[in-house]
Amino acid sequence: MRRFIQHTELARDSRFMRQNSLNAIFTSLPNDVDQVVEMFERFDPIIAQFVKGTPFEDIYEQYGPGFNLILLNERLRPDETFVELKLNARMHGIFAGELQALEGAGRTLWDFPEAPWDFKMNMARQCWDESRHVQIFEKLLAHVGGEVGQFPESTFLFEAACADDPVLRVAGVNRGLEGLACDIFRDMIEFAKLKGDKLMEQAIDYVLADELTHVRFGSEWVREFTKDDPKRAKAAKDFQREVDRQFSIGGARSAAEDAAIPIAVEERKEAGFTDQEIEELAEVSTSGPTRQTLRDAAEILRVRHQARKQQKEAKEATA
Amino acid sequence: MSDPELRKYPGTTPEERTYFTPYSAFDIPADLRELSGRYDVNATARRVRNFRYAEEWTMMMLGGWMATVPEIPVKTGIAKITWESAQAADTLGKRLPELRCGRKQVEASEVANEGFAGFVQAVTEPEDPDLTVEKLAGVFDVLKPHLIEVYEDTIRSTDQIADAPTIEILEDIVRKTRRHVAWGQEVLDRLCDTDAKRERRRLRKAELLDQLRACGGVTGEGIDRAPTVN
Repeated sequence: MRRFIQHTELARDSRFMRQNSLNAIFTSLPNDVDQVVEMFERFDPIIAQFVKGTPFEDIYEQYGPGFNLILLNERLRPDETFVELKLNARMHGIFAGELQALEGAGRTLWDFPEAPWDFKMNMARQCWDESRHVQIFEKLLAHVGGEVGQFPESTFLFEAACADDPVLRVAGVNRGLEGLACDIFRDMIEFAKLKGDKLMEQAIDYVLADELTHVRFGSEWVREFTKDDPKRAKAAKDFQREVDRQFSIGGARSAAEDAAIPIAVEERKEAGFTDQEIEELAEVSTSGPTRQTLRDAAEILRVRHQARKQQKEAKEATA
Repeated sequence: MSDPELRKYPGTTPEERTYFTPYSAFDIPADLRELSGRYDVNATARRVRNFRYAEEWTMMMLGGWMATVPEIPVKTGIAKITWESAQAADTLGKRLPELRCGRKQVEASEVANEGFAGFVQAVTEPEDPDLTVEKLAGVFDVLKPHLIEVYEDTIRSTDQIADAPTIEILEDIVRKTRRHVAWGQEVLDRLCDTDAKRERRRLRKAELLDQLRACGGVTGEGIDRAPTVN
């Protein structure tokens, strides 16, 4: 068996589809309404293709290529428009993320045979935890009326975080992505509480507890791998910063008061993040567009999309 | 008040014995274990290192396969077994300093011979997503059943009293490994739903068993009762 596989080699059954090309848009959004609109319009043909046959078809019809700005930029709350679609999409995204986290932890065991034994033990434990998370989110996905394969899977997590140095892997996966998971799960627990969904609340609360352990593994191993090696420590910090930036979902996860996904400060502190690191994360995640920028862009994209549709319908009527 | 004539603690003369009834360490409940075993301290330590090698590699190869098997229940199932194999390797390693190997030896894995190393590499070989049958057959039809046989043989043959800590460790590992084999074989039975797939499983098992026999198994000492090819 080879070491270091590509994200394209992750094995999936016949229910799954892939969609990676749209990730780039969200990682590079500027805080400028016109530029955001221009980027989404440029990718409209790809987005139109991507939504075909998926549950996003209706919302695309209504909002055009900027529909994801509506889904990602607003908080998940029971009384919101598209709450079911948003919940299913988020559950499915988490399910796929847990699958890739499982695969990432497993590959870390295989890719680094000379790693310290205690590191391997932590990764082996993480495999079991992630496998339980896959099972939990498969159940929760069904619980909210969704199903595996309903949405295309992005392998962005595996692609962005599974580096060829174990310290980068724990910095990117355990501290960056599992940290993001803490933010998302805290928000999901709040949603479940508001909805009165005890089953979801309890299950995700257990998952959140596991994630704290994984972030802690990350904090400890980054320290251990980089002690007396400032160059490697800087590389780990830079890598994590880049992962944090990419996974701030265009500013949706941030320290802003009205953030769609707020940073779970308490959980992160418990998992070994320092105050300074949390401040840095807030800085990185707010470097993208503001919520108002995205709202304004989404509205322009909606209006233009509807205009194009009307134009097309009028043309067809006269023909 | 207790009777001063009935002594609770022995004195220095025969008259000053306690009044408690004497029993041998093996009297209650009746314990039929005898001293003597096939392996001395050094031999047991070497076997433990051999076992640790097998468990550590099982952990690593299952970890590697999680990304390359398409079946979700196989991914999640082998994840649990990865953790339990890691725990097995860890517990075996912790026995080594107790066998005069030194404190640093807790992470010592030792392959019995080049042949067994080659056998393990052969088990790890399948890579493509359409080779789940070959992946699982190697571990659950050959490697793990072989480990159960050898662990149980060690439990029976080692000194039942002096080497009881090794026995306790192996008993726990065997219990879990039996569960792994039952899981793996159930999955294989389900996945091998055509004659062609059943034949692939049979061939893979036969091929690896030949290699296992040729190298003498995990300890290199030969295989008494290797799993049979169905």
